[in-house]
Amino acid sequence: MIELQGLEKTYHTGGVDTPVLHDINVSIEEGEFVALMGPSGTGKSTLMNILGLLDRPTGGKYTLGGVDLTALDDNQLSTIRNRRLGFVFQLFHLLPRVSVLQNVLLPFLYTEPYPADAKERAMQILQSVGLGDRINFKPNTLSGGQQQRVAIARALINEPAFILADEPTGNLDSVASGEILDIFDAIHRKGRTIIMVTHEPDVAARAERVITLKDGRVASDERRR
Amino acid sequence: MTPAELALTSTAKKAAKPARHLMSPTRFLRLSRHAAGALWGQKGKAFLMMIGTAVGIMLLTAVVGLSAGVQKRIDQITAFFGPRSVMIFAGGGELHGAGGRAEAGTTLKLQDYQAIRDQIGYEAVVTAGIFSGDVAIKAGNVGTQTHAVSAPPSYSEAFDWYVQEGAPIDSDDERSMARVAVFGTTAAKNLFGDEDPVGKRFLLNKVPFVVKGVLASKGTSAMGFDQDDRVWIPLSTGMNRVFHQDYIRFIRLKVRQDYTVSSVVAQVTDILRARHRIVPPEQDDFRTITPDFIAARVQSMARTTELVGAALAFVALLVGGVVLMNILLLSLSERVPEIGLKRALGARQRDIFTEFVAESVLVSLLGMVLGVLLGLVPVLAIPKFFPMMPMAVSWQTFAYAALFSTGVGLLFGVQPARRAAKLNPVEALR
Ligand SMILES: Nc1ncnc2c1ncn2[C@@H]1O[C@H](COP(=O)(O)OP(=O)(O)OP(=O)(O)O)[C@@H](O)[C@H]1O
Ligand SMILES: [Mg+2]
Repeated sequence: MIELQGLEKTYHTGGVDTPVLHDINVSIEEGEFVALMGPSGTGKSTLMNILGLLDRPTGGKYTLGGVDLTALDDNQLSTIRNRRLGFVFQLFHLLPRVSVLQNVLLPFLYTEPYPADAKERAMQILQSVGLGDRINFKPNTLSGGQQQRVAIARALINEPAFILADEPTGNLDSVASGEILDIFDAIHRKGRTIIMVTHEPDVAARAERVITLKDGRVASDERRR
Repeated sequence: MTPAELALTSTAKKAAKPARHLMSPTRFLRLSRHAAGALWGQKGKAFLMMIGTAVGIMLLTAVVGLSAGVQKRIDQITAFFGPRSVMIFAGGGELHGAGGRAEAGTTLKLQDYQAIRDQIGYEAVVTAGIFSGDVAIKAGNVGTQTHAVSAPPSYSEAFDWYVQEGAPIDSDDERSMARVAVFGTTAAKNLFGDEDPVGKRFLLNKVPFVVKGVLASKGTSAMGFDQDDRVWIPLSTGMNRVFHQDYIRFIRLKVRQDYTVSSVVAQVTDILRARHRIVPPEQDDFRTITPDFIAARVQSMARTTELVGAALAFVALLVGGVVLMNILLLSLSERVPEIGLKRALGARQRDIFTEFVAESVLVSLLGMVLGVLLGLVPVLAIPKFFPMMPMAVSWQTFAYAALFSTGVGLLFGVQPARRAAKLNPVEALR
């Protein structure tokens, strides 16, 4: 379970303080599918980076599974990212020089101990996102939708509890977006927690809970279904 | 707590410990292999990164090859000379060429030899004599030329050279100026063919002699002349009956086990200076030659080449390292998103650091392989065309190459690697 209590984030750049997030109080249970919405520049990505342990809050408390994360050092946060979190980015972020399969295996580079069945797991996941026949392709030979499916497979390889997706369909046409969202639905049905940033109401409609940020505060938090 | 939360807690607790550790060997191997893949993915750049190291290692290989060759040559000469031996030649001044023939001097006398033998004979086997090139020998109607050594019976022990047939020159021969000779195998063959020479008569510079024995064969020396082409006659006979001279050309000492060469040299020098009334800084009228002296001579001839080569290798490695570092730094900007991604996927700062240092070291090791291969070309080819030029391959070639290329990779990889590791993941992903 994710718990944010009075979370604050202020950027300090070039002697200027930019307050972005104010007093965020949210808890997300395991198994939820949450959409994060709000106008541009309101702090959605900032919040996602904190949730993804890529950035630290400047105030408040973030507990993940009962562990207060503010006390952990970079090595420990890296291990948690590796084992518990899966990232899906708007720009896919695949390594162009290696194959689809190697891209999916990338998180295992940092997993101790290296799983004996790594390859089988990767193949299986690629199969489940419909790319079983593309494992030896280079990413740049795939369509955008296919590339994002590779990225999802990579996010799933370590069986993380939480999938963090910042505008995963932002660079895709509606057909590809639909495919990606279908995959998210399927992942969600298998019990994974998904937190997804989106601007589009019809994308958000797939989620069972929509949190809206405005000027760095939670403006609304609605559960559907 | 749910099982997942429990798992998370234990992960966090487990993570607390390895923070102190370096890295598991399997993880290190994984990251290194990944780094190799990254290099493979940018072959052109990798080649540019390695040429400096390759040139440096090539020069280093050649220099080490020269050093090893010089050492081998010194070992050969020392073995030939006798590792615990001292040669004293008549005449002062500088020596021309290492171990080469001294310009003729007449300053060493039989009495010098006798004084040295009597005073330090328990510390060293002492012998003395005259080397005479191009003496005429004749038996029946066969005539030829050879080298003559006039030396007392101690010649055998001092040079570790014994007769294999017949008898050596003995003290009776020496005392009585006997006209007897011991032949080297080549001289014997030249004069007597396949017949047994022992007991045969012959003329040496027109003086009649009888063959007493034959020396064991020593073969061709490191300097390339046939040592078996010689005859050995008693010193007294040589001085009084053949060459008619009252001086000797050399004194030779073989230092016995419990004494040191340097102390023997010091004593001999004192004895000769006292006898010749030489007070330093007056110049000696004799030259003392030891294996160390020869080694220093040979080494000094190669020293300049070695130093220049080593300096060039050092500069090349330095330039290569700087080039390597700058290409790594340049390519860093292209790879910022990759680094951000890896951090998101769970790479620790140390993992990123390791990947970049591994790339740098691997590329240097590739440079090493290329450099050693290129460097071995002159090392193997030069002795083929110029036999006098000592060059040899030794384990040191590979040890130094590995040491220096790894050093370059580490030294110049650290800065880019640290920069990569310190990147803020959020900014890197943007
Ligand atoms: N490193 C930074 N230093 C200073 N200000 C920053 C920094 N990063 C983000 N900001 C500011 O924080 C605010 C929130 O940015 P953020 O990227 O979280 O918005 P967002 O909700 O994701 O917007 P979008 O929908 O356009 O992606 C913006 O005003 C942005 O300019
Ligand atoms: Mg954003």
